[in-house]
Amino acid sequence: MTLRSRTVAIGLHAVVSLWTLFVLLPVFVMVISAFKSQAELFTRPLALPKQFSFAAFERAWGIGISGFLVNSILVTALSVFIIIFASSLAAYILARSERPVMRWVYVAIVAGFAVPLQSVMVPLYQLVSGAGLLNSRLAIALPYAAYGIPFTTMLFYTFFLEFPRELEEAARLDGCGRLEVFFRIVLPLSGPAIASGAIFQAVFNWNEFILALLMLTKSDVRTLPVGIYGLTGQYSADWPALMAGLAIATLPLIVIFLLAQRHFVRSLAGLGK
Amino acid sequence: MPHLEVRDVVKRYGTLTVLSGVSFAAEKGEFVVMVGPSGCGKSTLLRSIAGLEEISSGSVSIAGHDITAAEPSDRGVAMVFQNYALYPHMTVAQNMGFALKVARRPKAEIEAAVTRAAEILRITDHLGKYPKALSGGQKQRVAIGRAITRAPEVFLFDEPLSNLDAALRSQMRIELSRLHRELGATMLYVTHDQTEAMTMADRIIVMNGGNIEQIGSPLDLYNKPATRFVAGFIGSPRMNFIASRVMRLSGRSVGFSLGEGRPPLDLEFAPGETLPILGDAVTLGIRPEALGDDGEVHIADAEVTVVEALGRETLVYSDARTLRTTDSESLDGYFAQLVPSQSDKRLGQQIELKANRSAFVVFAADGATLHDASPIHHK
Repeated sequence: MTLRSRTVAIGLHAVVSLWTLFVLLPVFVMVISAFKSQAELFTRPLALPKQFSFAAFERAWGIGISGFLVNSILVTALSVFIIIFASSLAAYILARSERPVMRWVYVAIVAGFAVPLQSVMVPLYQLVSGAGLLNSRLAIALPYAAYGIPFTTMLFYTFFLEFPRELEEAARLDGCGRLEVFFRIVLPLSGPAIASGAIFQAVFNWNEFILALLMLTKSDVRTLPVGIYGLTGQYSADWPALMAGLAIATLPLIVIFLLAQRHFVRSLAGLGK
Repeated sequence: MPHLEVRDVVKRYGTLTVLSGVSFAAEKGEFVVMVGPSGCGKSTLLRSIAGLEEISSGSVSIAGHDITAAEPSDRGVAMVFQNYALYPHMTVAQNMGFALKVARRPKAEIEAAVTRAAEILRITDHLGKYPKALSGGQKQRVAIGRAITRAPEVFLFDEPLSNLDAALRSQMRIELSRLHRELGATMLYVTHDQTEAMTMADRIIVMNGGNIEQIGSPLDLYNKPATRFVAGFIGSPRMNFIASRVMRLSGRSVGFSLGEGRPPLDLEFAPGETLPILGDAVTLGIRPEALGDDGEVHIADAEVTVVEALGRETLVYSDARTLRTTDSESLDGYFAQLVPSQSDKRLGQQIELKANRSAFVVFAADGATLHDASPIHHK
């Protein structure tokens, strides 16, 4: 290794390490705070807890975290399913069609990616309200799906461009129709794209706050971010319980990410083509 | 009635014409090889017959049925791809039985068909494995097995051996010939490798620039090439081509120039052959194995530039500066000579290139063959 590339490597490592610290420090503070008492949290905010107490977790669980957790799982699962299903099909047709108009359809879908949520919040609320969906899980699952489709379509599109056509041709000769080729051959071999698309959207939808706050006013349909936020007023900010709730909310995603990290990185590395 | 018939097939991509009116027919059980340089349209033709490409005009029929507009799976064809195209998420047995499964055939029938194909190809031990656990040769066998289980009217092969190494390729050539005999099936095989064409084909179709140059048995093409292109494409090493001119004409005897200061080469044209006109630019062709140290005609003096000792035979390349070639694939004055034994020729040695009169082929300026050579028979 030359001196220059070594210097560059050290520099890159330094930047990435700093960034990692920057991201992980709040997570670390959240986890240690969840084990502290309210007093200790304020007197020694950055120190390790004197003794690990699960009292805060019990309090958090007691005020309905389990219900929020179920809601979050349902909403995330439903929206991610719709996103993957619609995006993969759309991207497949877009990637395979030779009609020039499809190019524009693709651009139009990707342009949806650029619409900020804040700008459509009011009409979106009216739409959901008009459909009678307020205070239901669909009220956020459907908008989440709509918001996830552009990015995921892009992800699948680049993946399908690289997909070996010979496999599809072999399947057509073997008697598969268009849809059968997709569901029996292409989709089962799209693991990396499905995994990264699903994780990406799951993270986003799991953490989404604004829409959920707007659409879900009843406590029994709330998702974790909104539910936990509710803890601040109700219990005049029981910070250790709040941190415990957040820790519970964060854990599932970290586990999923660690399990599927390989796919995630591989397919994102192919983006931007 | 021919088993496979292709009539006036034209394929255009926008303004680019890839196939300009191609017609041929294959009898039932025939092994037909389409050969030509890359971009000659042979793969496009094969894919058009498979239904993977829509043709711009013309028709294709198999076993008497017009299948020009039929879906790929309804044509009675099975195809073996260059990159095998095995489904990576299915085992070997599932790959081979997939077409029957899609057609919703009973399980027992699928199993029987897969077992039979596996036995023919000797891959019974691998049925439970996934493609990634197989070697290249095994994958190609599975791909062929997938075609066999469908019991098609016509097998289509798209350069199936080009991803294999040389030793495996010659072994698979023999196996494919055996398979063709055993199944008695009609096979259409695309390759750019003239050796594959020569060794396996009942008949060869030589394609160039979207047209068929010539159709015939391997030895027909070798002995009586219809055009300079076919003469150059069939046979390895390539035929030597010499730029020449008609110097004299008397009766059916034609004299061709062989460079300055050398007497013209007189060749006797047979009654059926078209005579050139005095002064015409022509090409003389001579096979590398017809060149030697002795012969009736002294073509040129040359200097040895490369010697490739292959053991059984020796390839000697030499440079005769007095002569030019009309072949875009060769250099002016370079001659390939195939000596059917080991040779003591050394680099830089001065040699005389000689050949018998009967070894010369004559091509017109447009590439058509005017005069054929006689085949060489070694005792």
